[in-house]
Amino acid sequence: MTPSAASNPNPYKILGVSTSSTQDAIKGAYRDLAKKYHPDLNPGNKEAEAKFKEISSAYELIGTADSRSKFDRGEFEAKQNQGYGARNTQGNPYYYQTQEDGGRYNYSFEGMDDELLNSIFGRARTKRSDFPGQDVLYQMDIDFKDAVLGAEREIQLESGKRLRVKIPPGVDSGTKLRFGGQGHPGAGKGGPGNAYVQLNVRRSSIFSRDGDNLEIELPISLSEALLGADIKVPTIDGSVLLHIPEGVGSGTRLRVKGKGIQRKGKTSGDQFVRIKIVTPKSVDSDFKAAVKSWSERYAENPREAWIGNEEGVR
Amino acid sequence: MNKLYTFVEVTEITGIESSTIELFIHQNWISPVEKNSLDEEDLARVQLIEELRSRIGTNDEAIPIILHLLDQVYHLRSQIRRQQCSLN
Repeated sequence: MTPSAASNPNPYKILGVSTSSTQDAIKGAYRDLAKKYHPDLNPGNKEAEAKFKEISSAYELIGTADSRSKFDRGEFEAKQNQGYGARNTQGNPYYYQTQEDGGRYNYSFEGMDDELLNSIFGRARTKRSDFPGQDVLYQMDIDFKDAVLGAEREIQLESGKRLRVKIPPGVDSGTKLRFGGQGHPGAGKGGPGNAYVQLNVRRSSIFSRDGDNLEIELPISLSEALLGADIKVPTIDGSVLLHIPEGVGSGTRLRVKGKGIQRKGKTSGDQFVRIKIVTPKSVDSDFKAAVKSWSERYAENPREAWIGNEEGVR
Repeated sequence: MNKLYTFVEVTEITGIESSTIELFIHQNWISPVEKNSLDEEDLARVQLIEELRSRIGTNDEAIPIILHLLDQVYHLRSQIRRQQCSLN
């Protein structure tokens, strides 16, 4: 039994299937119709759009075994303007509608068909009246420090106008900042396009970045490692005095709290200092003798953990 | 026209999960201007992609080809519309 109230047309009929069709057959029928009538594949074709809404609403009713059995029992709610087909009645346009006056995603084709268009429209092409301005993309190289701390820069637009660019702290390469209405001017009643500034962060010779944390490698001498020391280490906003505990090993990571990326209202990153012990460049015979006698007194095998491990070295 | 939607809002409007949006970004099928939010163009594009994948059964290999061709068509349409404006 299928309800056949005029306000709820028969979804089986709309999809061209029978009430005994399998769920897969219904899905297949919907797919075939959706391929044909999807509004983004038929931009501007109102008939196709209406048809797509119709088949989508029908599919909502019988597209799953669950909804279908409800429908067959007559327990369906007439969902008005819901589901996939009808979304632009919610003020939510189809993709092609967002691209009608040129959009970000088809900007890359700009100029591609100029010759063809000129040959069709001839000189009239240069006499444009109402159309919105194009978006413009600017590239900006910024220092690592500015990407971490945030900064303010100025760029000169093609029009000659200068624009203040506020870089928020913690940006990555590739981040695009948008400046509404700062693109090419429109003509006639068309509004201007937008300007986008894409950031490219230069690498730092000292700092590396892992999320919101920064890391540096700190070379220390053998005596600083053995005896401990207080060493001035660079951070992104000036240096701090870092206490190196005595006996520190190569690769140890010490944390300088709060010296990473600080985002508003979020937990802040830290700076990690990775210790690298640098042995003396020149070693005289006195020093060698001292080390020799010391190592005899304090024999120690740093590879102890490997002993007995079958992969280990004896 | 320039309204921005957070991923949560996009999920509310379309039922498309944040992880799916992140996948689309990762695949370069959409490139939002701002982190963690979509504008109207992105939102409509996300819905189109999701319809192609889950409703129409397009495989992921074909998605970028379809988007590329559609964007070309839409570009040409906007160019032609402009010419019409200037002729009238």
